[in-house]
Parts: sequence; structure tokens; C-alpha cells
Amino acid sequence: MYKFDFIAPQTAAEAVAELQNRGPGGKLLAGGTDLLLQIKARVMKPAYVVDLSRVGELAQIEDRSGEGVFVGSMVRLRTIQLSPVLAERSPILVDGAKLVGSIQIRNLATLGGNLCNAAPSADVSPPLIVAGARAEILGPAGRRSVSLDDFFLGPRRTVLGPDEVLLGVLIPRAPRRSGGSYLRHTPRKEMDIAVVGVGSAVTLDDGYCTAARIALGAVAPTPIRSVKAESVLVGQRLSTELITRAAETAAEDARPISDVRGSAEFRRHLVAELAKRTLTTAWAQAQGEEA
Amino acid sequence: MSKQILHLTVNGEDREILVQPYQTLLEVLRDEIGLTGAKEGCGTGDCGCCTVLLDGKPVTSCLVVGLQADGHQVTTVEGLESDDGLDPIQQAFVRRGALQCGFCIPGAVVMARALLNENPNPTEAEIRWAMAGNLCRCTGYTKWIEAIQDVVQEVKA
Amino acid sequence: MTDTLAIGQRVDRAEGVGKVTGRATYVADLKVAGMLYGKMLRSPHAHAKIRSIDVEKARALPGVRCVLTAADLDHVDDEPASRAHAVLAKGRVRFQGQPVAAVAADDVHTAEEALDLIEVEYEILPAAIDPLEAMQDGAPQVRQRLVENDDSEAQAHATVATNEVKPTSNKPTNVSTRIHFARGDVARGFQDSDVIIEQTYHIPHVHQSYMEPRAALASWDHQGHLTVHASCQGIFALRAELASILHIPESRVTVIAEEIGGGFGAKIQPIIEPITALLAQKTRRPVKLVLSRSEELIAATPAPETIVELKTGAKRDGSLTALKARVVMDVGCFPGGPLNNVCLLAAGLYKFPALEVDGFEVLTHKASQAAYRAPGAPHGTFVIESQMDALASALGIDRMELRLRHCIATGDLMPNGHPWPFNGMRQVLDAIACHPAWLERKQAPNRGVGFAVGGWMGGLQPASATVRMDRDGSLMIVTGAVDLTGTHTAFRQIAAEEIGVAADQVAITTANTDSAPFAGTSAGSKVIYTIGNAVKAAAADAREQILEIASRELEAAPVDLEIRNGKVSVKGAAERSISLSKIGQVSTAIGSKHTPVLGRGTTTVTQQSPGFAGQLAEVEVDPGTGNVTILRYVSFQDVGRAINPTLVEGQMQGGSAQGIGIALSEQLVYSPDGRLLNASLLDYRTMTAIDLPNIETVIVEVPSPYGPFGAKGAGEPPIVPGPAALANAVRDATGCDFPDLPITPEKVVNALRRAAATS
Repeated sequence: MYKFDFIAPQTAAEAVAELQNRGPGGKLLAGGTDLLLQIKARVMKPAYVVDLSRVGELAQIEDRSGEGVFVGSMVRLRTIQLSPVLAERSPILVDGAKLVGSIQIRNLATLGGNLCNAAPSADVSPPLIVAGARAEILGPAGRRSVSLDDFFLGPRRTVLGPDEVLLGVLIPRAPRRSGGSYLRHTPRKEMDIAVVGVGSAVTLDDGYCTAARIALGAVAPTPIRSVKAESVLVGQRLSTELITRAAETAAEDARPISDVRGSAEFRRHLVAELAKRTLTTAWAQAQGEEA
Repeated sequence: MSKQILHLTVNGEDREILVQPYQTLLEVLRDEIGLTGAKEGCGTGDCGCCTVLLDGKPVTSCLVVGLQADGHQVTTVEGLESDDGLDPIQQAFVRRGALQCGFCIPGAVVMARALLNENPNPTEAEIRWAMAGNLCRCTGYTKWIEAIQDVVQEVKA
Repeated sequence: MTDTLAIGQRVDRAEGVGKVTGRATYVADLKVAGMLYGKMLRSPHAHAKIRSIDVEKARALPGVRCVLTAADLDHVDDEPASRAHAVLAKGRVRFQGQPVAAVAADDVHTAEEALDLIEVEYEILPAAIDPLEAMQDGAPQVRQRLVENDDSEAQAHATVATNEVKPTSNKPTNVSTRIHFARGDVARGFQDSDVIIEQTYHIPHVHQSYMEPRAALASWDHQGHLTVHASCQGIFALRAELASILHIPESRVTVIAEEIGGGFGAKIQPIIEPITALLAQKTRRPVKLVLSRSEELIAATPAPETIVELKTGAKRDGSLTALKARVVMDVGCFPGGPLNNVCLLAAGLYKFPALEVDGFEVLTHKASQAAYRAPGAPHGTFVIESQMDALASALGIDRMELRLRHCIATGDLMPNGHPWPFNGMRQVLDAIACHPAWLERKQAPNRGVGFAVGGWMGGLQPASATVRMDRDGSLMIVTGAVDLTGTHTAFRQIAAEEIGVAADQVAITTANTDSAPFAGTSAGSKVIYTIGNAVKAAAADAREQILEIASRELEAAPVDLEIRNGKVSVKGAAERSISLSKIGQVSTAIGSKHTPVLGRGTTTVTQQSPGFAGQLAEVEVDPGTGNVTILRYVSFQDVGRAINPTLVEGQMQGGSAQGIGIALSEQLVYSPDGRLLNASLLDYRTMTAIDLPNIETVIVEVPSPYGPFGAKGAGEPPIVPGPAALANAVRDATGCDFPDLPITPEKVVNALRRAAATS
């Protein structure tokens, strides 16, 4: 392990102050399942880490009824997987969170860590984008809120400033008669990284799609929304054919690369396949609510 | 950087030790406390050989900074044994021949214990999902599953 | 099985408790006074000249006790004879990850920090990475001059006659070995064929992926005696290598085997012990060196990549005509791969009247290879068993029937002209043919069933063991064998059966190289087969001595005595008896007239008993994502005699899982310039518990005339048929051939798309 100093503040404000006072070279430590890998591999050589595991305010899941549900950045993915509140209020986030790593990893890995690590393949990102979530951020100048659509800047880069801390995400209440689902493709069933991840959500009114969101993981430098594919659906009466067309449009929107995990061509194929499957599930859920 | 004091409870015993800030929990357990049951198979959380319980929850201790465990409870494979003998999972692993080289086994039995603590009556699929973070290269897992199912049956009986 | 005391019983492993409690000691667990931690700096390039190495900053770092480069060592050559001899790179690196410097420091973090401070200036050279390109004239050369090939490891596994084609010039080429087998008129055979199948198969480099990364702890005493605590498969082999590399007599080296966290063939070549010993020598302190997982994947000794062009022919009536194969094996930067095994199995499992096989072992600028469970056998089996299914389809003949018609039997000639030793290939095929998983298979969309059979010749090596009776009448086996999988328990059962006691009356210890009777390396499925015979002989000798003592105590002839229920008694007069504990006592007491019981067994088996295994897979393919789910998996194996069925099943299940990994998932992926692209267990995917089904086992017993109680080696065969069985199952499900392993989801999707486009 690269040698670093360790600071463990008790509050988010203290964490911000530590980053501010100690200056460059610091890293926020959440679950450690990404950061420590990079430090061990000496890809990252932080002079100090600011551990957030003692910051209780970041570990809450809070039902802000009308506004939505707030999930703190230090909530562990395993907690999300088992949360009755989230099962009800954001099943699509549960879909993503339960896929990361193993139980052991999910007991460490946090929502905020998974987002801030900003891997294009992160399994919580497409679900949160689809859900229209907003990141709540604390910095020296106070709090700000950023749509997840705009949160990611590139691989391992987000809008967070050097002395800002992600407090959590606010997931708005889904409209009635809507459904959503996230799937990813991996060669292994567990302990794997998404070759492609697709999250989809639709809202229905009397069989017509009034809103749709489709987000893609691991096919661009950041998780992306496929607005074009969404527009295929919105205003139309949903059908299998329409879903297939939207899925193919999503595949065209993808900008994948070829790497050791899959070729660009295969990734495009998977986007279409998984978009079809997630849209079909979302449609069925929405119909269920409509009935 | 200098060493810091770490207070933690390991297998029911309170410990106060000096550690480097960059030492992992796994290193603290193995090198500073001398509990070498948990193994390092990869150091990247992919193999599960280092699985210990942190406040009752299974974690890969190679991805925990030792100081993050300050004030917490840790259970290692050494803590599964009691004055009454081996944990039934440990007994079942021996009886079923669910081990060969044995390197992954400390992590596996800790994980199996965590599973049964949370879900005393898992299906085969639930067992397989739960154990998927513990790689084994020798057994093909079949005898693991049988051993864990044996314990489920014993508890039911 | 009721007539046995111990053989065939599910005796628990005595070491099991240590392993489930974490008390079993592996090398990385050891900590001794004054111990330093070693680390190696590795080349980032596959092929480069080392212009300079500056270690001054590293040496100056507080806590660093020693930094070594090749310039500090007398032991390394610029053209080393083997990978083990390439302790540190001298002048040139020939694979990514080759060690160029080594550090010993007070703790591992400081050692790592020191590596950051070593400055190496490389001149990057063109590298030979693709084996087919490496064979061509003008390819970058791995060797600058010719040195004697070291095939000791290949021999450690399987003793097979080869037919090597000697090079015609002394100029080094990347083709390090050529072999050629031929019989009959191949051209005529193909002319007479109604059906000809031609396919090129590819099996990539895979890693043995034992869970315990390599580790060593070395120390020297004041008289220059080296002691190494090792994670190794053979203590005597390691001692011999260390002595040779360090230029000291074997008597000045002691190797102590700690528990070994898996080896599968890889922990025979010492690639870290020599440098650990040299760091310890230089610092005069004990040094422990443990590899990281990424070092294991990048820079250890994977199994070789193999490309096989295979052509077979048959007549409409199902008779086989001819086989032609060209085998290219990429062994990385040092020779010594299992080319012969690939050739013999690819061409030797079925009775082709005419055949011609050309094999080429090719050097490339990649990490050199080592054995991996039945080295070469999964490769040879994969190609011929894939092709047998293709032939059967083309002929419209049932694939089981075609195999049963043409499979070899004892005495049929192998491609090398030697007769197949006594074997149970047919019995394994029969066991599959009458299994419900085969008989009751059903057609369903995207589902398929496939099977394959393959074998392993088995290794041979002289062996010895002793069995001692202690004062309380208990027995102790002393062996030099390393227990990888539970063989010690089988030894206890063999000795118990031979003597006439229960297995729990027999203990066993692995002694170190100073005190153990010679035993060969635990490899090649020869532990039970060869060392088991030595244990049996030692037990028989001990029994004779026990009876001799009893005969004098009971005043009866030894032939009239029997050992039962912990006593020696006169047959038919059970009241005339003496307990074994009494014999233990009288044979060790002060002033006793008896001699201590020390059974000695020295044996050499010269006949092989090949072990055959078959596997059947039922799969479901998701045509959208290409994922293959295994619904059912049955593993069949002729083990001669199952000394301990639990242990045998464990071998069958574990070997199956590894074969499944080769089939579906595992592959070391190199960039065109020779860098490994998937150096973690996240991207080098071995199978997890949820990826695998329950692996059912069917033990077939065709007793060997030579192994103890009829046993054959059981360790290697179960990895052999899996890749072919799965390829055949996926073929059955999709109608597509999968000659390129692993059968990844992407390849499945591509094959289905191609098939849809052409249909």
C-alpha cells in the first residue's frame, strides 16, 4: 500500500474543512472498495485520506415523502439491497446496487463511493439517472444540488470540487403508473463488472407512454442518457415493436469502445438487448399499476 | 505519518494497538495481532479469502483500512470456535470433505456463518449467491453447498 | 466394500480441523525474529534491453536493508538455462513482469516504496508475441543462443515416449521443439473419405489460479546452510533446483513444506525461492517474499496457449480413415511445455488407421509456461472430441455410437507407436452411455447436451516411505510427499488396510528434506499411484515386524497370527493375543529384547495406468446475451479403486470446475506488445459458486494391476474432458461450432448472428 495519513472526521462539514485545510493530495475514503485498489496499485498516491465512515449524517436513508427519498452517500450497497423503504420507493436503485461485487463488497461499498469513483460501468449510475435523482453536495461555499444527468464528467471525474463532499442523492417519487428496471451483462453472474448496463423507466397513461428515461452504462466515458431512444417512446402507445425500435435507437446512441471486457460491436448489441428487456419489464410494471 | 492507536474488539477480546494509518484491517489482524486465519488471496476484494465479520457483517478485510475498524467488533475464523468446540459449519466442512488446499476455507466458513446468521434456512440458490464472493479453486463448491445444507438440516432437526 | 478396514471408506482428513479453524500454517502466515520482507521490481516491457539500473535512491530509503540487481549476483547468465535460473534479468528482459531488481525491507510497504525509487532505463525491442508470427523467419528472437532444453518439468508429470525432430542448425529459432508422429497412408485415407472435417482450434493461456499466491521464507545459518519454508509441490525437487541455482551442495539446503494453498502444477518451478534465498544471504536475515495476485497473473507461469489445425476423415459407414494435425504451442520465453501430450491425445484417442501429427513448441516474449493439471491433455482432448461430434453430425451417426466403435483399448497403438497401457476408456464411455442424463436427454430450444472423454497417461517416479510403530502401539507414516488434496489421508488408509488397523490408528507427517525418505513431486497424478505403493510396502514391512515380535511373545509362527481389533492373536485361538500397544511398549522399552518396528518401503512403478474421465454437460444458451448456463453436470472417472470416495469426488468436482473455467471463461489476454490486460481476479474469471451447478460424480473402478489396491491417479483426469464436453453441449444447443476457447457470451452471440446470416 502507498503510505498515506488517515483522518476520520465526525461530520460532513469537518470533512470539507479537512480537505480545505490540508490542501491538495487528499482523497475522500468511503467504502474503500475502489479507492484502496487504486492506492494499492499505486495508480493513486494520496498524501492523506479523509475517512467518511464516522460521519453518521451520511449513512441515513430518509423518506422525505413528497420530495422523494434521500439516500446518504455513506449508505452501504448491501443496506440499499435490503432496505424495505427503497424496495418500495426506488426498486431500480436496488436492481443496480445488488449487482455490485459480492455480499462482502456490498457491505463496504457505498452509494457515494460508487458514484464518485465515476466508473462508466458503475451499476448505481444508470438507475439513478433513470430515476431523475439529484446529487446533494456540500462544499466550502455551502450546499448545492446537481442532476445526476450532469454529475459525471468522464472516467473517474465528476463535478465535485477538490474540497466538496457528496452528501447523498435525492430520488424523486416516481409518478403513478410507471415502472423501471436495470439490467447489466456480465460473463459471470456475480463478482463482475458490467460489460453494458441499461436502466429504463416508463410512465403510462391509458396505454400511452407519457414519459420515458433510458440510461446506459459502460458504453461511453460516462453513464449516458439516450434521449433519442426515449423520444421514440414518448407520446406513443407502447408495443413490443416500439420497444424494439427504441432499444435499437439506444444502441445507435451508445459510443462504446472495445476492450478486454467486450468489443464495441458486442456492446452495441447488448445495449439493444438489455434496453428491450428493461423496457419490457418497466412496461409490464407500469401496466400492473395501471390495472 | 505516524502510527495511531486503534481500539477494537476481536473475537470478544478488547485490543489496543499501534498501527500505521495505511495498514489494512487484514494486515492488522495478521501482522499485529497474530490472527493469521484470514488469508490474502488477492488484496483486491475479488477472492473472499480475507472475509471477517465487522459488527457481524461479512467484509473483505483487505479493503478496510485498519483504523476504519476503530471502536468496532471484528470476528475472524478463530472466533468461530468456542469452548464447546468447532462451529457446526466448521464440523460440516471437515465431514463433507469440503476443503482441499484449505486456503480459501477460513473466509468461506466465516461467510457461511454470516449467511446462516442472516438466513437460517437458505435454498441452494441462496447459498450459491451468498458464497459467490468466496473463490475456491479446489472443490468446485459442490461439497461446500452440501456442508452448509447439512448445518441447515441439523438446526431444523 | 465391507471386507475392508479402511480402503474405500470416507475417512475425514486429519488436517481438516486445522484448515477450518485457520490454524493450518501457510508460508505467508510465518513470522520469525528479524524477518525482512522481499519485493521484486518487474519489467513493464515484454522485450527490452536494460540500459541501466539506478538503485541508489532505493538503498537510501530508511528501512531498506538490501537492493539486488543481476550485477550483484554471480548466479545469473544472460541466457539462463531455465526460468528458475533467470533469477533477475541480466542485460535483457524477455517478458513483461520479469524481475529486474529485488528489495528486502523492514516491512512490505517500505519494500514497495523502494521499488518506486529504482530507476531502470530500457531500450524497448520488438517482441514476438503471436506464436504463429514468432515461428516465421525474421521474427524477433527470444533466445540469443542455443542452450540445452530443460524438459524436467514435463517429465515430472507424464512419462511418455516422444519422437523429437532434431534441429538441423545451431542457429536459435523460436521453434524450441519439433515432434512428428506418422503411421499409414494419410493422403490415401483422405482420398477414400466420404466426409472430411477441418477446423482450427485455439486454447489460450490460462492461469492455474491456486488461491494462495506463491510465498517463500528463507534463512541461512552461520555455517552457510539454507533453510526454505516453501509452498511447493515437491520438497526434493525444490532442494535440487535451489542447490543448482545457488551452486551449493544439496546437503546445505533444507526445504520445509508448509501447507500449500493449491499448486495444480505451477508450484514446481521455483520462481521466487532463489531470489528470496539470495536476499536472505545478502542481509544475513530471514526474508519472506509473497507475490501479489497481479504478480501471479502477469509474471508467474501460466499454462501454454495452443493452436491446433485438425483434419479428420471417415467413410459413410462410419469407419475412420485418416487424421492430420498441426499443433503449435506457445510456451512463452522458456521451452519445456507439454506439446507431446497434446499430440498424443489429439491423435491417439480413436483408432485412425492413418495419421500424421506435427508439433511445434514456440517461444514468445511472454511469461514462460508451467504445468497445469494434466498439462496438454485438455487441449488434445478438446480438439479431437470437438471433431468427433462434428464427424458424427456429418455422418448422421450417433456421437456415442461413433465413439464406442472407435475408442482405443488396451494394446492399441498410440501415435508414438507404443501400445496403450491397460485403461478404462471404454468403461467410462459405457458409464456415460447408460446414465440417465444421457439416456433421458430432451430436445428443447436453446438447450443442449454434450459429453467428452479424455485421459491422462500418469506420471512415474521412484518413491519411498517409512511406517513406524510408537510406544502406545500407534503408527506413524513418515513421508517426503506434499499433500495437496488429501493424499495423506489416503496414505493412512493404505497403511491401515495393509497392517490391519483402523485408519485413525495411523498418523502421518511430512518430514523435511533432511529427514524424509525420498518422495517425488506431487504432480502428474502419481502420488497415490507411486508413493502410495511405497507406503503400502512400508506398512507391509511394519506388519511383518509386528508379527515377528508377536510370534516370539505368543510362541506361535507368524503365519498363524492375525491383526484384528488392535491385537495380534493366534488364528482360531483369540485368547492367545497381545495388544498392539503392548508390542509398541516391548519394542521400545529399555532393555527390551525386541527391535523397534520401522517399516521401510522403497518402490518404483514402471508401468503406467492411464486414468480416463468423461463429463456430460447440459446447458441453456441465452441467444440475446450469449450467456451459457450449465443446468446439469455429471463427472465420470475411472480411478481404478477409490481409496477414499470423498477425496475422489473432491478431485472430480474440482477438476470439472477448472475444465468448465477453461471452456467458458478463463483466458489471459495479452496486448499486441505483450502486456497482460486482465491482471486481476475480477477480469481473470474463475468460476464462482453461482456460476457452477451441483457437480454430480460417477466413480468407475477398473482396477490397475500396479497401483495400491488397484488405485489409479485421480487428480489430473477430471480437468481433461470439460472444455470439449461444454463445447459439444453449446454446439448441441446452437448448431454452431466453438473451436475458439473460452466460449464467451460475445462469441456465442457472434456465432448465432453468423449462422442466422448464412441460413
